[in-house]
Amino acid sequence: MAELDETTRKLTIKLVYYGPAMSGKTTNLMRLHDLLSPDLKGEIMTLETQNDRTLFFDLLPLGFRTPSGWLVKFKLYTVPGQVVHDATRKAVLSRADGVVFVADSQRSQGINNSESFQNLEDNARRVGLDFGTLPIVVQFNKRDLPDVLPEEEIRGRWSAAPWPLVMASALTGAGVRETFVKLLETVYPVLDRSFSLSEEHGISAKAFIDAVTGESLENPR
Amino acid sequence: MKTHAKGYDSTLSLRELLSGISPDRLSAALTVLLGAPARVVSANGAWVMGNAPPLAENAKRLPLTHDLETAGHLETAAADEARARAAANLLELFMQSGARYFMASEMHIEVVKADYEELQRRHAALMESEARYKALAENLEMRVKEQVNTIESARRQLYQAEKLASVGQLAAGVAHEINNPIGFIRSNLGTAQSYVQKFQSVAGQVKSSGNAALATAWQTADLDFVLADFPSLLQESVDGADRVARIVSDLKGFSSIDQAEEEIVDLNDCIRSACNVATNQINSRADLKLALGELPPLRCKAGHLSQVFLNLLLNAAQAMKERGEIRIQSGIENGQIVIRFSDTGCGIPPEVLPRIFDPFFTTQDVGSGSGLGLTVSRDIITAHGGNIEVESEVGTGTTFTIYLPVNKP
Repeated sequence: MAELDETTRKLTIKLVYYGPAMSGKTTNLMRLHDLLSPDLKGEIMTLETQNDRTLFFDLLPLGFRTPSGWLVKFKLYTVPGQVVHDATRKAVLSRADGVVFVADSQRSQGINNSESFQNLEDNARRVGLDFGTLPIVVQFNKRDLPDVLPEEEIRGRWSAAPWPLVMASALTGAGVRETFVKLLETVYPVLDRSFSLSEEHGISAKAFIDAVTGESLENPR
Repeated sequence: MKTHAKGYDSTLSLRELLSGISPDRLSAALTVLLGAPARVVSANGAWVMGNAPPLAENAKRLPLTHDLETAGHLETAAADEARARAAANLLELFMQSGARYFMASEMHIEVVKADYEELQRRHAALMESEARYKALAENLEMRVKEQVNTIESARRQLYQAEKLASVGQLAAGVAHEINNPIGFIRSNLGTAQSYVQKFQSVAGQVKSSGNAALATAWQTADLDFVLADFPSLLQESVDGADRVARIVSDLKGFSSIDQAEEEIVDLNDCIRSACNVATNQINSRADLKLALGELPPLRCKAGHLSQVFLNLLLNAAQAMKERGEIRIQSGIENGQIVIRFSDTGCGIPPEVLPRIFDPFFTTQDVGSGSGLGLTVSRDIITAHGGNIEVESEVGTGTTFTIYLPVNKP
């Protein structure tokens, strides 16, 4: 759940990049750091890695100020993908406002993807998130690699699922921003209902997304 | 000092961010680097690092940003802008490092706690499972015994049923085979009796004929005695043949137990035939006294009821420690048929009495009784809409009372 601090006039939103080990969650965050230019952008904080594998989590803070003077802060987390770090994944997932599931498109990773997605569902239930209403975007990453599942096949398999699908190649940056925007689009209505973003703070969905991605200059307030 | 209950993603104050750094050494280092006094103030101005005095009005005030927000300020009297900025950057790096340490340790604590709780949960589950196995092991012997008893009972029941069936079959066959010869034996004996009478009628003439040789031969063969004894011999044989015929017909009654067809009978006849069948076992142990009152004809499964009577009779005979008396009484009481089997046997102990109708409960040695006799008896009586009661006193005897409803006209 997003945190609203009346005294410091601050809204903190937590978004989590979930997925199997080595699917490119941290790379997504690094590309976002490069691609986005919001009012406020922090450095990526990487907590403890081992051979390039995330052990705890990575954190990228982003933010902007509303016309009403409020600070809207985004905290983008990655979870450690390795199976053994389930307790950490659970802790990072708790109170999330939205989730990007980063799947590995390689043919060999099908089982890892589905196990990780099942794990996401289980952990969401354990930390008290309603999986049915939790905003989720599914990203199929590593499209640049040779032996990947064809896009039509992926879309066919996921056609019954309610979540948006984005094809991406985080290493080159393709689809990374699109994934993030899709997530913001699904998160906004939930936040708007809870915190009256458009009524009280004058932020429309477009303004909201533009502000986080850094296109606010083209969108005069 | 920082508190450890905040969670890894909580907002940190400047004091928390710099908690790992000695304030005195930091201010001293800052002062040297900047070439002027410096102090670090939190966002609300409340906390001052070191003991630097308030600075002059014209002091520089640089924001210290952490996590997109201004966590505090670096105040310094230093004139060099670049140095002041560098010092602020340095402090921000310290803050970042502090945040990193804080988040890592909080996450570590959370994970360790979660893992520990999971371990405890599994431990509890293991303990429970161990206790279950322990209990199972302790009960195993008892349960095996129970199972063995159940199997043994089932085996005995099966054996009993098969025995009854084969005995019935044998009895039916024997009865059928004996019926014919006994029929013509009986008939021939009757004819023989009339022949003897004819001999007797001519005996006087033979003796008074005056033929000396004939009289001597008559005398020598002792035909007077023969003619006098012959009718009683034949009469005894007729009685014996009749008895055989009766036993055969009783046997047929019992062998038809499986054919559970209803027929209209006088229950007193069933009682009598049960007594006939059991005569051997009873005569050696007890005197049988019948006090059979008049009973209305009853539509019932006569073979089944005969089996009940036989069971009760045999039980009574077996209850005799020394020669005693078995009394069977029948009659109508309160509009229903009542039949009582009383014996003067050893009686049934009170602790056993409630169990005697239980399936497979037996006080006899394994093999000699199935433990089913009374169970089956009660089932049969219940099937006829009646009930069976027992009274007993150890050393005095036992009375089984059967109540059966009279058929509605």
